[in-house]
Amino acid sequence: MDPMLLLESTVRGVIIGLTYAMIALGFNIVYRVNKSINFAHPVIVLMAAYIALVASYRYNPLLAYVLAVLAGVAASIAIERLVARPLLGRPPVALIGATLGIYYLFKGVTITIGGAETASLPIGYKLYHLGPITLGLNDIVSGLGSLLVLALVILLHMKTRLGSAMRAVAEDVEGAAAYGIPVRRLMSLSWALAGLVGALGGLFLAVKNQVSVELEFYAIRALAASLLAGLDSIGGVVIGGIVLGVAEEVGGLLLDDYLPGIGYDLAFFILLLVLFVKPYGLFGTERIERV
Amino acid sequence: MPAGVFKETYRADMAHLRYPIHWAGLVLGAGLALTAPLYLQGYYLDQAILFMIFLIAAVGLNITLGLAGLISLAHAALMGAGAYTVAMLALKAGFNAVLAIPLAGVAAAVLGFILSLPSFKLKGYYLAMASLAAQFILEYFYSLLAPEQYITVPFETKEIAGVFFGEGVPLYYLALAITVLLLLAAGNLARSSLGRAMKAVRDNDVAAEIVGINVTRTKALAFTIGGFYAGIAGGLYALYSAGIGWEGFTLLVSIELLGMVLIGGPGRVVWGSMLGVLVLKTGWTNLESSLSPLLMDMGLDIIASTAKYIVLGTLIAVFIILEPEGLIAVLRRVKEYLRLWPYSY
Repeated sequence: MDPMLLLESTVRGVIIGLTYAMIALGFNIVYRVNKSINFAHPVIVLMAAYIALVASYRYNPLLAYVLAVLAGVAASIAIERLVARPLLGRPPVALIGATLGIYYLFKGVTITIGGAETASLPIGYKLYHLGPITLGLNDIVSGLGSLLVLALVILLHMKTRLGSAMRAVAEDVEGAAAYGIPVRRLMSLSWALAGLVGALGGLFLAVKNQVSVELEFYAIRALAASLLAGLDSIGGVVIGGIVLGVAEEVGGLLLDDYLPGIGYDLAFFILLLVLFVKPYGLFGTERIERV
Repeated sequence: MPAGVFKETYRADMAHLRYPIHWAGLVLGAGLALTAPLYLQGYYLDQAILFMIFLIAAVGLNITLGLAGLISLAHAALMGAGAYTVAMLALKAGFNAVLAIPLAGVAAAVLGFILSLPSFKLKGYYLAMASLAAQFILEYFYSLLAPEQYITVPFETKEIAGVFFGEGVPLYYLALAITVLLLLAAGNLARSSLGRAMKAVRDNDVAAEIVGINVTRTKALAFTIGGFYAGIAGGLYALYSAGIGWEGFTLLVSIELLGMVLIGGPGRVVWGSMLGVLVLKTGWTNLESSLSPLLMDMGLDIIASTAKYIVLGTLIAVFIILEPEGLIAVLRRVKEYLRLWPYSY
């Protein structure tokens, strides 16, 4: 195996991994407040990409991106209000099923709006040669953009008053309410934040690759990053995402001769492995719940 | 318990046929099912067969999800395991496809058992993820099994004693016999000690363990039995269809099955599943085939292709939020209203 090829795959893996981490962050933020997985998250990613595409036909690209992000946030808040909140107190299976329903509903709407077409977002095309590695402008934009968003969201969680309030709600809803924290508003806010990172993830994925219906599978695979980090960890998703991205790129490169096309399915092997070996992930808190 | 219904013995309470309407339904249903080939031909008979195939699969998922409360997103992949077992045995070993159907059930049951392993330590959402991962991994392996997309089950293996079971009336009666057998078993399972143990695990697993239910064993059995049903359904599907490919067992099919159970009535193993399949499979197929040309004429082809997602998704979400007991609960309310009419309370 050519070491340069390996190096380049690793760099590519890290770049896509940062975007994975951002999408995984959306799963984790929702998990922290609702203690269940938001299966509608992947479709926010898909929707944002298509809205950006459709809007960019008509408006200036920057406005299109802003519209896409706003739509993602609005959709996420709507899901919280109309689906997650009425289901509070019901078993987690209910929220899983309902968000799966929303997933298909939004997928249908997205394809209706955007057509199932594959197209590129209007972003300049340029190649950079960094030593032996060749990267496109799209790679660099998505990698650096993801890194920036990740840093901002993690800082928000760790350093600000709002962040500590969100962590309080995640830790103990009743306790937080007793201290006068507006729990419901913070739940909405958490979902909005999840929608924001999801929509941005969709945009960066679309910039890096193309707008296509495949994007939702990237978001589903990001679940592996989320679980690897631990479902209630915030900072850990960076590690989870990068591990996932590198595993996909390098694993795909090494294994493709034996198992064609395995690269993208490695995420699911990672997922199962984590579930069997260390279900609370690398950085998640272990909940002692004996049954 | 609705007013005016008095059960004096446990036996009467647990009977399969409790009301006159049940007897009427049995006579009518059995009569219609047995004579179906007389008034259903070709395409419609195929639909009846498909209805039974998906009914078996949905009953399996209803045992796993409705009775034991374990969410499985890999049910279509388990169906696929059954279908590929039959196809590979017939293709590679010349095994009779009809006789291979029980083996399909066993193969899927083993897979189902493996899928249940994470559930021993973990709660619902982890299980959803494990089964989601399993669904994609199995899809991938199925795509490796048949690189040229379709596996055809050889026609000569679909024969027993000169009767061709691959289509039409013989396949219909074969499917009917299997369906009735499995439905009876499922109906009795729901009222057996195992079924009650499953419900206890679903409602409160800690309490279930305290009263002495072996939670691990119950969860494993729920998955294994659900997998067995899916495998049988898949085996029948392999017999029914000309060629099987992984596209028949995607996540979308898993979600459809989930929708059938949730919309029909989770926990009502036989009738709930039947309603769900009736609405989402038979009803939807007919609605789609009659509406699609209209939409195409209006130039709305894109809606014709996405309507399925929208309707399926909306129905699942709405039923979970507003009517978690499914259509069967709606029907029960209608029935009670009519029974007490005009003196409803």
